[in-house]
Amino acid sequence: MRPEHWLYTLPLRLRSLFHWAQVDQELDDELRDHLDRKTEEYVAKGMTQEEAHRRARLDLGGIEQAKERCRDARRVNWIQDFVQDLRFGLRILRKSPGFTTVAVLTLALGIGANTAIFSVVDWLTLRVPSIAKPEQVTTLASQGTDGGYSNGFSYPDFEDIRNQSTTVFSDVAASMDYQADGLSVDGKSELMWASYVTGNFFQMIGVKPALGNLIEPTAGLSSHDEPVLVLGYAFWKAHFGGDSRVVGKSALVNGRPVTIIGVAPNGFHGISPLLDMQGYMPLGMATVTADAGKDLVTNRKSLGLTISARLKPGVTPASAQPELRVIARRLAAQYPSMDNWRTLIAYALGPLSPISNPDTPNTVRLVGALFLTLAGLVLTLACLNVANLLLARASGRQREMAVRAALGGWRSRLIRQLLIESLLLTLLGCVAGIALGLAASRWLGSINLHVSFPFVLDFQFDWRVFSYAFGAAVVTALLVGIAPALRATRANLNDLLHESACTTTTGRQRTRSVLVVAQVGGSLMLLIVAGLFVRSLRHVQRVNLGFDPGNVLNFTINVHQTGYNEAQAQDFLRSLLPRVRALPGVESASLAATIPMGLTYLGMGLKIEGYQPPPGQSAPLAGYNAVSPQYFATMRIPLRRGRVFLDSDGQASQPIAVINEAMAGKYWHGEDPLGRHFTSTDDPEHSIEVVGIVKNSRVAQPYGPYEPYVYVPLVQHYNNQMPVTLQLRTSLPLASMNHEVVDTIHSLAPAMPVLDTETMSGSLNGLNGFMLFEIGAGLAASLGILGLALATVGVYGVVSCGASQRTHEIGIRMALGAQPGKVLKMIFRQALFIVGGGIALGVLAAACIAVLVGNFLVGVSSFDAITYVGAVLIIAAVALAACYVPARRAMRVDPMVALRYE
Amino acid sequence: MLVSVTEDMEMSKPSDLVQGTLDMLLLKILVLEPMNGFAISQRLKQVSGDVLQVSDGSLYPALHKLEQEGWIKAEWKTSEYGRRAKYYSLIRLGRRQLEKEADNWGRLSSAISRVVKLKEA
Repeated sequence: MRPEHWLYTLPLRLRSLFHWAQVDQELDDELRDHLDRKTEEYVAKGMTQEEAHRRARLDLGGIEQAKERCRDARRVNWIQDFVQDLRFGLRILRKSPGFTTVAVLTLALGIGANTAIFSVVDWLTLRVPSIAKPEQVTTLASQGTDGGYSNGFSYPDFEDIRNQSTTVFSDVAASMDYQADGLSVDGKSELMWASYVTGNFFQMIGVKPALGNLIEPTAGLSSHDEPVLVLGYAFWKAHFGGDSRVVGKSALVNGRPVTIIGVAPNGFHGISPLLDMQGYMPLGMATVTADAGKDLVTNRKSLGLTISARLKPGVTPASAQPELRVIARRLAAQYPSMDNWRTLIAYALGPLSPISNPDTPNTVRLVGALFLTLAGLVLTLACLNVANLLLARASGRQREMAVRAALGGWRSRLIRQLLIESLLLTLLGCVAGIALGLAASRWLGSINLHVSFPFVLDFQFDWRVFSYAFGAAVVTALLVGIAPALRATRANLNDLLHESACTTTTGRQRTRSVLVVAQVGGSLMLLIVAGLFVRSLRHVQRVNLGFDPGNVLNFTINVHQTGYNEAQAQDFLRSLLPRVRALPGVESASLAATIPMGLTYLGMGLKIEGYQPPPGQSAPLAGYNAVSPQYFATMRIPLRRGRVFLDSDGQASQPIAVINEAMAGKYWHGEDPLGRHFTSTDDPEHSIEVVGIVKNSRVAQPYGPYEPYVYVPLVQHYNNQMPVTLQLRTSLPLASMNHEVVDTIHSLAPAMPVLDTETMSGSLNGLNGFMLFEIGAGLAASLGILGLALATVGVYGVVSCGASQRTHEIGIRMALGAQPGKVLKMIFRQALFIVGGGIALGVLAAACIAVLVGNFLVGVSSFDAITYVGAVLIIAAVALAACYVPARRAMRVDPMVALRYE
Repeated sequence: MLVSVTEDMEMSKPSDLVQGTLDMLLLKILVLEPMNGFAISQRLKQVSGDVLQVSDGSLYPALHKLEQEGWIKAEWKTSEYGRRAKYYSLIRLGRRQLEKEADNWGRLSSAISRVVKLKEA
């Protein structure tokens, strides 16, 4: 159509759209006018008024049908149809608020669960940092000759790689991350997690500052030039209130003066989007503030740097691989004593980078896939529920459909209209579901991870999550709407006028029953998975830890942050312990470098006198902890043989160690380890004597075999860079002890920030401890309960409708003398088929998915009998209870009423 | 649909050809003066010598479609009976459409004639 023509017709179409009541009235008037004239014509021909009128109507073919055809002729534009259907659909939904509420709520639960879980999975696997062209940025890892991966490099390594990789990388930068520093501004001091970066770091990343400047490539490596600090955005907002006057301010980092020159942009958290870097400083300053060793720049053995690099345009991580391997070989040949150059790999940035193990992303993806599947199952159950509801309602509207069909509406239009109704329902459910999902993920984001690391737990609802939710809604709409629509429009007016409202054809009843069987099966599967996770959690929690975490409080401090050197630090700690022990209620107090299942795990390579590792095995390794003498008493780790440390074991005394049973068994099998010696590969000069053996205890993970573990005296192995945890055993709760202990610390060192205060039991729920198990069990249980609720509603609905369908039949039976008990049995028999079928299906489905789930279970088999039987019993009980109400109602039917009821 | 009443024949199946033809006929009738639906069908019957009759059930949908397409416009006037009645009239765009369709029809009918008049071998 030509433009002016279209413009002319537009008002007409709009009028049909918005004033269709008026338009309809006009149509009515027009046709009646025609009838009048036709009647007159016939009367003029000699017919009676009545006959003429009848004849005129016959000629027209029925006024309503004619109107319908006119309306269709007017609707040249399908949008008008669509809007008409929408308005009609809305009206229908408004008319039955109960049905609409239940359906929308059911769908909202399903969609909400999915979006919440998807946002978490998105956070873990799909989110990339908000920097320029993130797909080009990679982090490097090297693989050593023993097959293990490491993402730590030395500065000379960094220089070599930077110089030799110019064909694949356009820029290579290094950073020393996650340094816990003390920041002191205007007299206030706090903890800041900082990253020391090379000058070209920000240029390589490609971000602009939110305020002030970022570290420039001209930043050198000398400790004296450019002592500058760039703040992280979230840290700046939280601790400086977003005050723009911070630029140019002087501050102290670990006692050394710096100038704050700018703030990093919003949304940039460092190379890893999971952890928030709170400050950035030039790498050169690390030699001063982080005491990284004055030879940071030249020491090839100090592997503390993470290397990130931007690929040249057109180069992918895979295509860069050969070049990197060549570089690795070259370095291996040049420096044969460093045995970590089997190959060099570049990883694309992801939420978990820098990753040290290439398997980690796969594990995380697997977990994500598992929970998405479970959530998808809940959504399917919700769909089944709503489909059932719609089917039930469709049978109530059969008459309406049949009459409309008879009046001239054709089947495709009816189907389209029913589909639009279900689309409306799902859209409403989608909106509600997104709101629910947002609330759920907000709640998830507020979970205390029991770590002092600043995790970035913002599960943003970005476009990916919204499109996922919308996609789920559309699929739901189709699934839910298609069956009822097809069925409803097959209605035949003649048959229907002789039937009652809830009398459905057997076909429809069978469909509904099948749907409910699927629901029961799905719900059972969810329950079984939930049960497995819960039992796994219980198992892990009840495991014998080997120490007693009850009544132990932890206070973590980093002496280094006040600027103390090593001598001052040891002094401080030596004075601290007696003062803490003197506090009322304290039974014992000790210091330790690490806590069990904390985020730090210390290890040392060993050279054991008289022990040769079997050929092919790498050098012996053991985990270690540096502790003060009262440690074993505080943690209640039983001593098996020999002795623990004494105060007399000082810095000048013979280096000693206490080992655990696993180490004794592995390296001195059958012999007495007491009095034997070994050395650490970091410090081959000092030979360490074994003086005691303690019971095995859990140090790294709550499950798995016990690994060799060494305890050494803190005074002999003090590392000023590392934090130290003061642990005390007291019957008083944390709340009352907190102040006292912090005051005691501050009485000795007023500027010492206390990083973390927690109960030992609380910290066991941390990331390396029970937390993942708890989250897994919690999520699975929630989904299981949701599924159970949905299945219950489904069973109730179908049995209820089936019972009312047979009211007539029941009435007859009872009139003929059947006992109420027999009626009950009849109802229950139908229910039994449904529930039984569902149980069989559910057990089968659970068995199929068991292998996937089994990867995440500890101490529980995927086919654990107790869980399966328990879940089956729960489902059976709940389902049969859901049948009880309709069954009783059927039993109480009065035969006279039933017979009359049609 | 459009009915050709020569010997009380049955209604034939509607086809695109016939529908388009009906539109053209209606437009043509409206060339002279505005009319309402009843009058249009009367005039068509009269002018074609009772050969062409439109069934009432098809007339109004056709008229409404023409109105929707923007070739005719409608006005509500008081009829001679004192009631409101809807009168259709042709507008400029409709005239152009009519010409176009009349041309097509001419071409089509002469082509058909040529085929029909083929001498048998």
